[in-house]
Amino acid sequence: MAEKQSTTLENQTAPYLPETLRGLSRFRLFIWRGNPPGFVLELITLLTSLVMFIPILYVMVRGIQGGQEKWLALLDARIPQLLWNTLSLTVVVSISTLLIGVSAAWLVNRSDLPGRKIWEWLLALPLVIPPYVGALSYIIVFGPRGLLQNLLGQTPIDIYSFAGAALVLTLFTYPYVYLITGSALKRFNLHYEEAGRMAGLSYPRIFWKIILPLLRPAMGAGFILVSLYSLADFGLVAMLRYTTFTTAIYYQMGSFDRSSAAILSVVLIFITLIILWFEYRTRRKQRFFQSSGTYRKPSPLPLGRGLVPSLLGIGTVVSLSLVLPLSVLFYWSYIGISRGALDSRFWEYTFQSLLTAGLAALACAILALPLVYLKSRHPAPLSSFYERLAQAGYALPGVIIALGMVFIFNRYIPALYGTAVVLVLAYIIRFLPQAMQAESSSLNQVSPHLDEAGRSLGYPPWQVIGRIILPLIRPGVLAGMALVFVSAVKELPATLLLRPPGMDTLAVRVWIEASEGFYEMAAPASLLIILVSALPLKWLISRF
Amino acid sequence: MKAIDIIKVNKNYPGCPVPAVDNLSLAVQEGEIITLLGPSGCGKTTALRLIAGFEHPDTGSISLADRLVTGPGSWIPPEKRNVGMVFQDYALFPHLTVQENIGIGLKKENKMQKVGDMIGLVGLPGLEKRYPHELSGGQQQRVALARALVRNPVVVLLDEPFSNLDTDLRTHMRREVTKIIKKAGTTAIFVTHDLKDALAVSDRVAVLREGRLEQVGTPSDIYRFPETEFVATFVGKSTILKGVIAPDHSSVITAIGTIPCAHTHNLPSGQQVKVSIRPDSFELDPQGNVRGIIRETIYGGNEIEAILEVHTKEGPVDLQVHIHPEKNIKVGAELRFHVLPEFVAVISG
Repeated sequence: MAEKQSTTLENQTAPYLPETLRGLSRFRLFIWRGNPPGFVLELITLLTSLVMFIPILYVMVRGIQGGQEKWLALLDARIPQLLWNTLSLTVVVSISTLLIGVSAAWLVNRSDLPGRKIWEWLLALPLVIPPYVGALSYIIVFGPRGLLQNLLGQTPIDIYSFAGAALVLTLFTYPYVYLITGSALKRFNLHYEEAGRMAGLSYPRIFWKIILPLLRPAMGAGFILVSLYSLADFGLVAMLRYTTFTTAIYYQMGSFDRSSAAILSVVLIFITLIILWFEYRTRRKQRFFQSSGTYRKPSPLPLGRGLVPSLLGIGTVVSLSLVLPLSVLFYWSYIGISRGALDSRFWEYTFQSLLTAGLAALACAILALPLVYLKSRHPAPLSSFYERLAQAGYALPGVIIALGMVFIFNRYIPALYGTAVVLVLAYIIRFLPQAMQAESSSLNQVSPHLDEAGRSLGYPPWQVIGRIILPLIRPGVLAGMALVFVSAVKELPATLLLRPPGMDTLAVRVWIEASEGFYEMAAPASLLIILVSALPLKWLISRF
Repeated sequence: MKAIDIIKVNKNYPGCPVPAVDNLSLAVQEGEIITLLGPSGCGKTTALRLIAGFEHPDTGSISLADRLVTGPGSWIPPEKRNVGMVFQDYALFPHLTVQENIGIGLKKENKMQKVGDMIGLVGLPGLEKRYPHELSGGQQQRVALARALVRNPVVVLLDEPFSNLDTDLRTHMRREVTKIIKKAGTTAIFVTHDLKDALAVSDRVAVLREGRLEQVGTPSDIYRFPETEFVATFVGKSTILKGVIAPDHSSVITAIGTIPCAHTHNLPSGQQVKVSIRPDSFELDPQGNVRGIIRETIYGGNEIEAILEVHTKEGPVDLQVHIHPEKNIKVGAELRFHVLPEFVAVISG
């Protein structure tokens, strides 16, 4: 019987596939660990990840090819100063956000601070204020021609300085640390603290010996997020006239010295990679620290004599990062609107912002899907590799992406150079990882057995995605779109460098009006950006 | 007709030293219910996924209803195999109702009628519009079964289908599921690590160990006449003793005496063998030729499981015995048993 079977087998398969194709399919089986995805799906994924990666690769190639002379000149004259400026700002901001974020998270989650629930919200809200808008409000108040100068004839700090940049950047990035450690504190297994009590430790010792060490992964994650942000920030440091790598690259491009810009970019990419490597390591560690929470509420710890200082501290943070910028912007918007700032041009900027951001959000939601599906349903080194490639733009400054786009479109696709297509593509490269994160966290909650059930009921893979997976992960897809949309509306550096002549967005208007001192014109656009950013606040906060 | 014909299938996972499926050959007749039984990690779920088409074998071929679905150079994807599958977690689509779940794989014509018939068959009338989260565990399982059966599959595969149910429901669903499958006339393969599941639902049981087929047979054959030491100890309890085939060919001479044996494989007398004796073969008998001291007892309600220590020329030997629960047995008591031949088998390995 077995013999007969094997002869029919050969008859059937011989005309099926020529030997080379058979070898290829065996090779695919091998690299996909016996579970290869559909060919079309893999092709789409490969193309997407390549498009995401090529501009960055091109910047690096151009930087490395920049020539020994230029490298030496830059290493001699610019790079040491830029390194010092950038790294000192990054370190100071990361440490101060850590101090503010962790203490605020502890106070609202674990102490008897009056009005904890309200403070908890207020402290998270600065997240929706883009740091460059924050910087604008600080220039309005503390600048040399600002409010205090007019009222008092002097300002308490020079806002165009290291201290000014560090203060403002801290005020608008601490919510990252605050939200991450806060959510870790909420998931904290209370049994650890109770075991500490049983062992006879006092609360301060429990805090230092048990809570803080167990929060370390969350604190590390927040620290890294803020460092990456500080490295990549352009708008805030540019407005406060503090020179870091991003602003240096921007101004080199402005003077058409693109190879110097590429060389500086290579250095900045290198620093970013080092931080990402740290992130990878802490994330691996975090797995061991993951503790299952108990569903009891911890009893709030009485602050006693610490109450007044705590209230003062929290109040100061909220005033400086929320009340001050919002009231300044509302005040100047009022003046601006009464002088006719909401003219037809204003609505044109708004429309252009919403249109480009909307296109980018839609494209990201669609392009992320195959990548995320491949990673989740066909786990193999190759799918991780595609994912990494596609996430290359994650955490990299907008100026570097813009530089890559300028190189490539200028040289190879000049027909599209200077059109909105390039701008939307830059948004996609920068923000696709956000859509991927949102979709993959949704998809990971859907059991792969559902896919298999669909297959065994007669659906080919693309129908499984369309009819089973997509309806189930719709919330994740929408969240991803919202996050990309907001990021694109706020995006400044790539927009400045890539927008077609005459096409302004809200962010660009804020930048231009602010640099010319027309605060009443910048304020309404800033408020609108904040309003749009506040739309997906629920999702923004639940990411942590 | 053979519903399933698996020929010399091998499957290795990269980075895993032991093959998941090792040279497996198995034929299943149409309408038969067969169970793949084995400890976790023995490759039974992999075997099931190979049949369904969720895994590619390294070598070997699989045919379903005389159609080659997996073989050198040929591959039919899962959606074209017409195989029904019931998952351990049921995998009901959470966004679809009972009706929509069952009908999702059907073409338009006669769809509602087929779905209605199936809902009747599995006994869920009235629940058509419910969503999976509104159903109990047993009801969810019925929906999963209906969904797997509604396309008249060549074979329905059930992966640990009873493991999420509590004991009472489990016994009930074993009967129900078997009844529904038999009524539908479908061939079925169960996968389980639970002996009682396997013995209760199957026409035949295939015992797997480390990817290899150890023995295939009816539930009572497997229990009464295990062919290997692994089957003897995994499928129920057993005492394994060394011995020699006696001249009468129907008993084995061992350290505890001559044991009558109903399954000697016609081995020649004098052959060195191992013999498996089920605890049920020992019967209390004041005149019995096996004499020993009770070392341990576990009261199990319907029987007492005990360990009987017998002194022999080669030292003490522990026997696993079952004693009727009405007896009041104390540890240390000296008892005599005789051996019934029905549950004694010569094994290999």
